[in-house]
Formats: sequence, C-alpha cells, structure tokens
Amino acid sequence: MILSPTNPGAETPALELRALRKTFGGSVAVNGLDLGVRAGEFFALLGPNGAGKTTTLRMIAGLLPADSGEISIFGVDARRQSIDAKRITAWLPDEPMLYDKLDPLEYLEFVAGLWGVEPETARARANELLEMLELWKHRHERCEGFSRGMKQKVALAGALIHDPLLLMLDEPLTGLDAAAARLVKDILVERTRAGRSIILTTHILEVAERLADRIGIIHHGRLVAMGTLDELRAAAGGAHSTLEDVFLELTRPTEKAA
Amino acid sequence: MIGRPGSLPWLVHHDLRLSFLRMRAMFGRRGPLTIAAIVLVALAAIHLLVWPLAAWFVNARADAHSARYYYPLLACAALFVLPWLISQALMSSTRALYSRGDLDLLLASPVSARVVVAARALAVAIEAIASVGIFLFPIANMNALLGGAHWLAIYPAMLASGLIASAIGLTLTVLLFRLMGPRRTRFAAQIVATFIASAFVLGGQIVNVLPEHMRDSIMAAFDNPAPGGLFDPGGPLWLPVRAAMGDGGDLAIWCATAIVAFALVAIGLGPNFMASAVRSAGAAATSAPARSRRDRRFRAGVGVALRMKEWRLLARDPWLASQMLLQVIYTLPISVVIWRSQVGGGSPALAASPFIVVIASQISASLAWLAVSSEDAPEFIATAPVPRARVERGKIEAVFAPLALLLAGPLIGLALIAPVDAALTALIACAAAGSTALLNLWHPMPGKRAQLMRRHSQSKIVGLMEHMMSLCWAVVMVATVLRSPAAILPVFIVAAMLWFNRPRAPRAPAANVAFGAG
Repeated sequence: MILSPTNPGAETPALELRALRKTFGGSVAVNGLDLGVRAGEFFALLGPNGAGKTTTLRMIAGLLPADSGEISIFGVDARRQSIDAKRITAWLPDEPMLYDKLDPLEYLEFVAGLWGVEPETARARANELLEMLELWKHRHERCEGFSRGMKQKVALAGALIHDPLLLMLDEPLTGLDAAAARLVKDILVERTRAGRSIILTTHILEVAERLADRIGIIHHGRLVAMGTLDELRAAAGGAHSTLEDVFLELTRPTEKAA
Repeated sequence: MIGRPGSLPWLVHHDLRLSFLRMRAMFGRRGPLTIAAIVLVALAAIHLLVWPLAAWFVNARADAHSARYYYPLLACAALFVLPWLISQALMSSTRALYSRGDLDLLLASPVSARVVVAARALAVAIEAIASVGIFLFPIANMNALLGGAHWLAIYPAMLASGLIASAIGLTLTVLLFRLMGPRRTRFAAQIVATFIASAFVLGGQIVNVLPEHMRDSIMAAFDNPAPGGLFDPGGPLWLPVRAAMGDGGDLAIWCATAIVAFALVAIGLGPNFMASAVRSAGAAATSAPARSRRDRRFRAGVGVALRMKEWRLLARDPWLASQMLLQVIYTLPISVVIWRSQVGGGSPALAASPFIVVIASQISASLAWLAVSSEDAPEFIATAPVPRARVERGKIEAVFAPLALLLAGPLIGLALIAPVDAALTALIACAAAGSTALLNLWHPMPGKRAQLMRRHSQSKIVGLMEHMMSLCWAVVMVATVLRSPAAILPVFIVAAMLWFNRPRAPRAPAANVAFGAG
C-alpha cells in the first residue's frame, strides 16, 4: 500500500522499529532498538554523543542498511520497499545539504522533481514555504552567500515541499539564531497539528521538553526510557525533576567493576 | 625557527611547509624512507631520460647541422617555460584571493600587508618554478655533468623567472580585480591563465604545428638574424635565454630585474592585493545576482530535475568551463601534428576525427565525474524515492547534452567536407564518451568539484584506464578513417577493460555513505 499525504492512516503507527541493529566493524552503534512513534506525534530522540541517534535516523531514511531488525513507516516495510517509504518521509540532517550555485526556488524545484510533486502544486507550496520561512526576498539569490541559518531554512523548505507524513530531523536547530529557531519550532508544531509525525534528535533538552509529546532516550544503542515528560520523571523517581535531571540520571556512565 | 615570527622568511617557511605537507599527502600513508626512495628513483629516471637531450645540447655547437637548431630549440624552451610560469602564478594568485586558506588569519594579524603579500608571492613563485623545474633542473644537471658548470645558471635564472612571473601574476590579478570586480575576476583569470598555458603547449609543438614555409622562414631568420632583432641571440629579447646558459653579465641583469620587479610589485601592490582579498571575501559572502527575476513555472519529472540541476551547476561554475577548455586546447596540437604528418594524404578527417573522439572521451569522463562523484548532496538524493539506477541514468543524460553541444560545431564542419567520416566520427565519439562515463559511474572517486583536475589522485588505475580508453578510441578512429580492419582490435581492448571494471556486487544505497555521528 502506498500512502498519500492526504491519507495519513491515523490508526497506523507512523514509525515502528523492532530489534533494529547496526554495527560498524566490532563496534555496536544500535543494539536491538525497539521504538514506536504514533501518527501525528512529535517525538524527541535524546541521547549522549555516540548513543546511536543519527545512525538510527539514517537507517530509517534508507541511508544505512540495518544489519537486522524491522523498520515500518506507516505500515510500509522500509527495508524492503524503500522507495515507497522514502516517498512519505523526509530527512533533514544537521548539516544542510544544498547546492551553492542554485537559488532556493531552483533547489525546491529540484527536490519537488525528485519526489514527483506536480509542478503546479510544487510551485504553490514552494512560494508558501519561502514566505513562511522568511526567504521570499532571497528566492533568486544563490545559496552560496547564505548564512548557516538561511541554509538550514532552505533545507527545511526542501524537506517539507512534498508534505511528508514522517519528518526526521537531526539537530535541526544547530546554528540557528533565536528568531530562526523560534520560527522553525513554530513550523514543526504546526506540522504535527496538521497530522504529520516528527521525530527529532537534539542536544537542547529544553526543545524536547517544550515541544515533544513523547521522549525516547537511547544510550549505547539501546532505548533506556520512553514516554511523556511526566512518565520519564516518574520513572526516574523525582516528580519535580527536570528533563536534564532525568536525562543525566538515565545516561550516567556505569561504574566499572572493581 | 626560520626568522622572527611574522617576518618574511618565517611566513615563506610557513607557506612552503604547507606546500610540502600537501605534496607529502599525495603519497598516502607511506613512510618518509619510502617517499624518499620513490622521489630519488623518479629523479634518477628523469635524469636518465634527459641524458640524450643534454648530450645533444653539449655537442650541438660543434656539429654544423645541429648548430642550426640550437637557438630555435632554446627559443622554444623559453616559449615553453615563461608562459607556463606566468599562468601558474596567475592561477595561484587568484586562488590565494578566493580560496583564502589562512589569508583571513593573516589579515587579522598585526603583520604588515606588504610582508604577507611578499611571502605569498614568493611561495607562488617557488611553486611555479617547482612545477616546471622538475623537468628543467635534471636537464641543467646533466648538461653541467657533460658540458660544464655554466649550465647550472639555469637554477638562478629560473628563480628570477619565477619572481618575474609571480610579479606579473599578481599585477594581472589586481588589474583584473579593478577592471572587472570580484565576481568576474576569477573567471577572467582562469581564462587568461588557460590561454597563457596553451602557449606552453603550442610552444612545445611549435615546430610541428607551423606550416613548412613558415618554419623555413623562421630558420632562415635564425641563420641570418638582423642585429638586435627578434631572432638575434645577442638581442635584448634573448637576455633570459643567455642568462640561463650561464652568461654572467646577463644573469646578473636578469636576476636584478627580477628582484626589483618583485619588490616593486610586493611593496606597490601589496595593500591593493589585500584590499582585493577583503573585497573578494565580501563577494563570497553575498550571493550572485540572479540573471532573471521572473518567477517561472516548475518543470516536472525526475529526469528533468536531475538534468536541470546538473546543467545549472555546470553553467554557473566558470572555473570548470575553463578547465575543460584547457583539455580541449591541450589536445588541439596533436590534431595539427597528425594533419601535418601527411599520413592518409593529409586528410582533414584524419586530423579532426581522433581529436573529436579524444575530446568526447575526456570531457565525458570529466562531466561524469562531476555528476556522479562530486555530487554536493549525495545523501539527500539517496533519501529521494527514486531508484539509484534512475538517478544515475539522469546524470549520464545530463552529461551528454553539453558534450553534444561542444562537439556539434566540429562535427558539422567535418560533415561538410567528409560526410561519411563525420557520421563514423559521431558514432565512435558516442562510444568513447559512453565508455569513459561508464568507468566513472562504476568507479566513483568522491571529491569536491574544485578537485576536477586532480581527481585521478584518488585512483591512479581508473585514471590510467580512462586515458587508455581515449587512446584506444583515437586509434579506432584513425584506423576507421583509413578503412583498416585493425579498428576492431582496440574496440575489443576497451570492451575488455569495461568488462573487468563492471560492478560485481550490489552497491550501497547512497553514493557517499558515512558513519552516523550520534
């Protein structure tokens, strides 16, 4: 079954990972990860450096083959039907992947072409996104002269132009100033209100605390906690603790056996 | 420590150290002893190779027949070396402006702009000298061994030539910057350097390229030169040649001229160069103005999207255009040599066809590398719902259109003279372009677009295969024009090369799969 953006399938989970595993040489990056994201949910995936967050997102996006396990995106088996899965997803890495010599409109035309968006729809959506992201007056300027924040916004427009059902964002607020970060956060919240699902990794715990419906914490490639902020607090044993307290408690380095 | 920190020698040492480290990086992870052994063996081989030339130079003056060619050959060498040095200096100067490297750090430091520019210009001069010295210095050494120590004067003469070339390169860069502004200077400098460097190639082939009656006239002018004229070895234009041959007075004048010119440029244009550097940084920080501000409709389809993207990136990178133009110019003299060799009755098809085929294979390889290996966003494309094969097909389609545009003129011209040969040339050019494009598709060598001309440093085998394919197709073309059945053999060789290089295992989902960070 191929889902269209107008047929999100609210009953079907947006993302299901089962026993997902990935190793690089002898090093285990993701170790039997089980994770579920509901349709229309804003999910934050947290973890210390090297925990396996980016590797997980890259496997979901089809950039890294998993060693074993299952990846299901709105019921589509992403490991076997990768093209169908890619059609309904978008991936935004922490480093924006743009073409310096193209302007934002040309970039969006290119992305829309790859995702097979009808030209008329794509043009209208591009205009809307450029307006929304305050890039309209720069639409004919080449990206090579853009600041980091502007490049990140162009990349976000590219990720949204085909109206993906599942949006994966890897540290999307890195390098953004306060105003741009606020704008991006507002747009992401608006997407979830429109029924789209978001999975986001971040080191800024305040972002997860304020935006996410549920939070998953991975450590050494394993899910160590998942739930709402209150559920995590309860699990960590302190009703008044902050997400930072919970995070540090759950990802504290284990003492070496004497 | 070489000199006081921030002084000219200290900065020159810093620049040369960086150049040395870049050169060392080309040897990969080999140890210093292995590198030294490779360099020594290479130097010994070059010295042995130039031995016959050195012997000829030493004995030329004694032999009446050889003596006639003595000065023309030296003139060719000068035509060969000086444009090359100037071209290298111009390229390095513009690269210093736009690639910047540590220029921002130096500009922000309390070191005088004149010292910074002088150090950069000296490094430019030394790098330019090294690029040609690797061939010239062994000749000087062997000549000195066989014919006397005066030949070692090539060393100081070359150093002086390098300083003059660096001064000219710096001046041209500042002039271009003033005349054309920061945006156009880079492109203009590349084109100027390309044409100057083409003089290097044509200088080397001048004896073969010139028509016979012109060659005879030039030789006659060398035999009976007008005093002080263009062909008089005692005239002022020959001063650098006499300096290189060890004439003490001329060497002193040449070196003094070089030092004065270099100092004048470094002192006089230093602040200008630095001001240009600041403006070029400003230019890089603002995007290029759009040619058309009209909002047009989007086009549909994966193929169109990929083709438009590739063509736009190509059209907007003049440096790439200049590099490919250089490839065409380098190949041109071979065509003239074949034509003038009178094989096949001096047929224009015999001259043009191999040239077209070689250009097709080489440019196709370059374009395919740009489209496949130097993709700016390989992972982004890998996340698109498009099979990898479709992406690759789109990119190869994108490669062939500019190539067809480039070759249309020569092919139409050939068709007017020899229509059958033109059709055969078009067919073989397509095969040649396809073969090198496939090689690059099957063996991607990831790199940045600016590394186009150094792409083979990643895989010497692929580079060798690429050149062998070009050569094979040129032989196929010559044999076809001569209607020889021998044309079949190189086709089989290319087919065999492609067969052995075909992809054997399923490829990774993305072109440049990197490890996850978190």
